Amino acid sequence: MSGDLALSARGVQMEYRDRGTGKRLLAIEKVDLDIADGAFVSLLGPSGCGKSTFLKIVNGLILATAGEIKLRRVAKGREDAMVFQDASLFPWYSVLDNVAYGLVCAGVPRKEARVRAAPYIELVGLQGFADKYPYQLSGGMQQRANLARALAVDSAILLMDEPFAALDAQTREVMQAELLRIWNAARKTVLFVTHQIDEAVYLSDRVVVMAARPGRVVADITIDLPRPRKLEVKRTPEFAAYEEQIWRLIQRDRVPSAVEQAP
Amino acid sequence: MIARRLGKVNERVFYGVLGFVGLALVWEITANLGLYRRSLLSHPTAIWRAAVTDFGNGSIFPHIALSLQEFAIGFFVSLIVAIPLGLAIGWFRRVDYATSALLAALNATPNVALIPLIVLIAGIGLESKVIVVFLSAFFAVMVTTSAGVQSIARRHLEITRSFGGSQWLAFRTVALPSTLPFILSGIRIGAGRALVGVVAAEFLSSNQGLGFYLGFFGQLLDTSRLMLGIVLFGIFGVVIGELLRVVERRFEVWRPDIHA
Repeated sequence: MSGDLALSARGVQMEYRDRGTGKRLLAIEKVDLDIADGAFVSLLGPSGCGKSTFLKIVNGLILATAGEIKLRRVAKGREDAMVFQDASLFPWYSVLDNVAYGLVCAGVPRKEARVRAAPYIELVGLQGFADKYPYQLSGGMQQRANLARALAVDSAILLMDEPFAALDAQTREVMQAELLRIWNAARKTVLFVTHQIDEAVYLSDRVVVMAARPGRVVADITIDLPRPRKLEVKRTPEFAAYEEQIWRLIQRDRVPSAVEQAP
Repeated sequence: MIARRLGKVNERVFYGVLGFVGLALVWEITANLGLYRRSLLSHPTAIWRAAVTDFGNGSIFPHIALSLQEFAIGFFVSLIVAIPLGLAIGWFRRVDYATSALLAALNATPNVALIPLIVLIAGIGLESKVIVVFLSAFFAVMVTTSAGVQSIARRHLEITRSFGGSQWLAFRTVALPSTLPFILSGIRIGAGRALVGVVAAEFLSSNQGLGFYLGFFGQLLDTSRLMLGIVLFGIFGVVIGELLRVVERRFEVWRPDIHA
């Protein structure tokens, strides 16, 4: 294995026992995944394909039942940091204290954590809001703070769990473009989970397509669109072709619902 | 903005006072019209005269002082025991299992029923009243505190774990602040219960205190002094409520509903 991998997963498997029936369910089946240092990779798939579960396994929130995950070691601090789906900011902390919290978790004294967190508030475009409380922020601004909290710990890899899913369509596009700007500035490896095809294509170097029951990888598509990408790229035929290709993959693997099976 | 908030507060005080004055007026007028026996319900001017007399010669002060003392000691001790215990029960599942049945049984027993036993053991002095006040407030504070810890949002606890923070850090930075509103409402409920405890204990066995005062004069059919005692307890309750409101505002700058 080469040294410039940010993440290397081998045979990651997640098994549940269904509480009602007692049957064993395979949420994730033998997922292998390598991510090069500095790459932006999306995990794309329908709900129930285990993409968020995989992300939580990488983060350590969930323990896999089999397999192995290696993250690139960093000199100090954490290897990975999570950007959550709902911003999950603490309502009792100011924006600055929320952004500093990841550092506090890593054992950095609160004062120093605040000093180190401050530049990331600027980076995500929240200057002037450091002393505000989460309820004073819009949904998009909360997600910016959520992102800043993960960036501040300066991990090797950033794990993003459908961070824009709860935003309205316009705000989501603004945040996608902002994420690329920040990614370009911070030069981080990103593993981004989403169920939106256009989001995955627009952001990523590679889109890893997953299918459900059991959750598994069905395709790994390199997105060969020039960077930096403006939002206009979404209107190009090349972009549409990628969307089409991925859409077909997902259609093929979809489990038909009862209604669709009826004659 | 300050002016508007001040306006709101003034409005609250204004109408609050108006309500009291209105009630007193109706009371006074109906008593003077002879709609009921004045000796049974008394009326505001007679209560006022009783207040002027008993405050003037100072005879009521020892009663007030003793009741305050019983309340303060009993309530304070109950807070410093109930809050940590409630936190422990909420945070550690095993502590919850070990104590819940026992505490539920104790809680289900009306603690007024325990007063004769407490008096038997601790006498009719300050100690027995403090114990009654303690028991009266204890469960309300403890139960609300532990319920508060158990209702912490999972997603908030997940943040600390995700960033590799310790359980102790999660307790300090997540459990404590998100439980604080519950603790404060527990204190509010507990303060009311503690006040009931003061009256009940002094009623049943005492030779001093505001509860004794109103019980004693009730038996003498001196309803003006009986009513004075009731009014003083009412004022006491309102003052405690307002003090707690100040504390709540102080602690909860992050809650939008408090700023509204």
